[in-house]
Amino acid sequence: MIETIQLSKKFKDKTVVQDVDMYLDQGESVGLLGPNGAGKSTTISMISSLLKPSSGDVKLNGESIIKNPSDIRKVLGVVPQDIALYQELTAYENLKFFGRIYRVPKDQLEDRIQHTLELVGLKDRQKDLIKTFSGGMKRRINIASALLHQPNILILDEPTVGIDPQSRNYILEMIRRLKVQNGTTILYTSHYMEEVEQLCDRVYIMDHGKVIASGSQSELLSILSNEDTISVQLSKMSPPLAKEVLALEPVRQVEEDGDTLKIISKKSSNIISDLVRLADQHQVKIINFQMVNPSLEDVFLHLTGRTLRD
Amino acid sequence: MLTFLKKDLLLFWRDRKEVLLVVILPLLIIVVLSISMSGMFDGDENLNVDLSLGLVIEDQPEEAIEVISNQISMSGKIPEDVKDNLINSIESAPPVELLTNALMSPGIGDWVTVKTLTEKEAVDSVENGGRDAMLVIPSGYTEQLLSYLYLGTENKPELSFSAKETSFEVDIIHDTIEGILNQMNLQYALSLSGTEVDMTQIQLPEGSTESIAADRDFTMGIDQYFTLSMGVLFVLFMASTVATRITLEKREQTFNRVTLSNAPPYHFLFGKTCATFILAMLQIILIFMGSHLILDVFSDRTMMFWSGLLLISIVFSLAVAGLAALMTSISLRIKNPETANGAFTGIIMLFGTIGGSFVPIYVLPDWLQKIGEFTPNGQTLSVLIEWFHFEDLSLIWLPLTVLTVFTVISVIISMMLYPKRGEVS
Ligand SMILES: Nc1ncnc2c1ncn2[C@@H]1O[C@H](COP(=O)(O)OP(=O)(O)O)[C@@H](O)[C@H]1O
Ligand SMILES: [Mg+2]
Repeated sequence: MIETIQLSKKFKDKTVVQDVDMYLDQGESVGLLGPNGAGKSTTISMISSLLKPSSGDVKLNGESIIKNPSDIRKVLGVVPQDIALYQELTAYENLKFFGRIYRVPKDQLEDRIQHTLELVGLKDRQKDLIKTFSGGMKRRINIASALLHQPNILILDEPTVGIDPQSRNYILEMIRRLKVQNGTTILYTSHYMEEVEQLCDRVYIMDHGKVIASGSQSELLSILSNEDTISVQLSKMSPPLAKEVLALEPVRQVEEDGDTLKIISKKSSNIISDLVRLADQHQVKIINFQMVNPSLEDVFLHLTGRTLRD
Repeated sequence: MLTFLKKDLLLFWRDRKEVLLVVILPLLIIVVLSISMSGMFDGDENLNVDLSLGLVIEDQPEEAIEVISNQISMSGKIPEDVKDNLINSIESAPPVELLTNALMSPGIGDWVTVKTLTEKEAVDSVENGGRDAMLVIPSGYTEQLLSYLYLGTENKPELSFSAKETSFEVDIIHDTIEGILNQMNLQYALSLSGTEVDMTQIQLPEGSTESIAADRDFTMGIDQYFTLSMGVLFVLFMASTVATRITLEKREQTFNRVTLSNAPPYHFLFGKTCATFILAMLQIILIFMGSHLILDVFSDRTMMFWSGLLLISIVFSLAVAGLAALMTSISLRIKNPETANGAFTGIIMLFGTIGGSFVPIYVLPDWLQKIGEFTPNGQTLSVLIEWFHFEDLSLIWLPLTVLTVFTVISVIISMMLYPKRGEVS
C-alpha cells in the first residue's frame, strides 16, 4: 500500500535519512523503532508529503506521491511528535477547525467530533482551552485531530513522549482499538520498545538514518537466537567485576543497570561457575540469577552496542 | 477560507493582552501625548508656544521718512488734501516701528519673544539653536516700501527671513510676519484712499493667529494630529502582529497540519489577509471613535467628513492587509522565525518613522521625506490631514488609488511567494 524506495534526506551536508526501504500493507501495524535523532520523524515527514526527499521515492498503491501529494493526504492521518494544536482555542474549536479544513462533510462533523472526543476520553473537557490541559490530555487531542477525517492510514510520531503511564496506556489501548475495529493501517514511531512490542506486527529498527533490522518480532528476536541473555543481581555493583565478566570468552556484551548486570553470551555456554568465581574474588554476592527472554531492546543492543535511550 | 478567517479572529480575540494592546494602548498614548503637549496650545486653540525671533534692523527709517515726506509733498499724483494726512501717518507710525510694535503686541508678543540684535549676533544665535529664526530689515527698506506704496515705484522691498531648519515653530513665525506685513500694507493703502485709519498700530483681526494660519496644518490641534498619526501607526502594527502569529503556527506545527489537510494553499493566505483587514478596520474605527469620545477631536464634522474618514480607513486597512499577506508568505519561507519577526518589526518601525508617525516629518532629510510619502502609513496620514482640512475628494482620490495599487501588488507578490509543497522551511 505504502512503500518507500531508497528514501534519503540530506540537510546541507548532513545525511539524516539514508536509503530507507519500507512498506506498509493494508491493516498492518508497523513500528519504527530507534533512538532519538535516528531520523524517524524525518522519514515520516517524507512519507506524509511534508518534506521533499533528497532522493528516493514514496509510493502509494504504486503511484509516486512526490508529484501529486494530494492522494496520500486524503487517506492519511498524521499525529506529529509535537503538540500541533492551537493553545488558545478549546479542544472542541481545534477539532472543528481541523475537521473543516479536512473537509469533513458539515452534517457529519459534529457527530465525528463528539465521537472522537469520546474515543480519547475528553468529552467533558471539550470546552476548555488546550493550554489548560495536562500533557497527556494534549497528546490525546493531538491524536484526535488526526482522526476526524477517518484516515485509512494513521502515522503516529512518538505519541506517548513525556506523559504519565496512565495516559500512555490509554493511548496505546486506543490505537489498538482503532486497528482492530476500523482496520486502520498504523505506522507507529517510538523509542520505547515496550510500546512497539505491544502494538506492532512488524518492526523497523532505525539508527543513524538507516534501517538496521526489520521483520516481525519473532524474526527480530531470532537474531538473538544464538545468544542467551542473563540477568545477574548483585549485592552491590562492581565495575571491575563487570569488566572481567566481559573479558570472559563467551560473553558478548555486559550492561550495568543499578545492582544488576545484564549479560549477553553465546547460547548454552556455561558461564555460571566463572561468574561465581569472579564475584567471590571481588567480594560481591550474587543475589539472583536469571535467564531472560530477549526483548527488542536486546536486539538493538546487539545490533548497535548501545541502548535505545542513550 | 472562512474557516481560516474564523480561526484567526477567534485566536486574536482569545489573546486579551493583544486586544488591549491594539486598542487601549494607542488611545492611551493619544490622550497622554495630547495632554502633555497641550501646554503648547491653550484651550481655544490659540498658540501658546514660546518662540524666539532675532530682529536685525539695518534700515535708517528717520532719513527715509524725511525723503519720502518731501517726495509726497512734491508729487503730482497724490491729491493735495490727502498729502498732509499721509505724511502725518508716516511720521507718526513708520513701517519698521509698526512691524516691531505688532510683533510685541499682546496678541503676538505672548508667544514670540523678539530681541533686536546685530546681524552677527542673530546669525550666531540661530546657528547654535538659541533662537528659532531671524528677520532682517535691510537698509533702504522704509524708503523702498513707502515709495512703492505711495509713489508707484516698481520694486517692492523684501524682508529677509531665515531659520536654521524649517520647523513647525518657524512656519508659525514666518506666517505671522507675513500676516502683519499684509495688514500693514493694507492700512497704508487705505490711508492713501483717504480713509480714516488709526495708523498707530496694526489692526490685527480677532483671533489673529488663527486667521493668519488659516489652511495651515497647525490649525489642527495636537490631539487631532495625534489621533490621526497614532491611529495610522498602530493599525500598521497589525500587519506584524499577524505575521508574528504565523511564526507560532509554524513552530507549533499547526501549519503542518494545515498543509497535510490538503486545503487549497491560498486559503491560509487569504484567511490571514482578510483577518488583518477586519482587525485593522475595527482597530482604526475604535481608535478614532475612542479619541473622539475622549478628546472630542472631530466635533461638528459633517456626514461627508465621516464618510471620507471611513473610506480612507478602508483603503488603509486593505493596504495593511496586503502588507500582512506579504509578510505571511515571507515568514513561511524564512527558516528562522526570530529573524522573520525581527525583520518585520524593523520594517514596520522604518515605515512608521519615515512615514512621519513617530516624529514630525520635517526633521527628516528631504529625500527620506520623499520616500516616506510612499509608505502606506505616510500616504494615509497625509491623506487624512488633507481630508481633515479640506474635505475635498479631488485631493485624496489619487493617493487613495496609489494605496490601492500598493495593496493589489502586495497581494500578487505574496501569492507568488507563497511556498509550494516542500518549500516550507
Ligand atoms: N530541518 C532540519 N535541518 C537540519 N537537521 C535536521 C532537521 N530536521 C532534523 N534534523 C536532524 O536530523 C536528525 C534526525 O532527526 P529526527 O528525524 O527528528 O530524528 P528522530 O525523530 O528519530 O528523533 C537529527 O540529528 C536532527 O538534528
Ligand atoms: Mg522524532
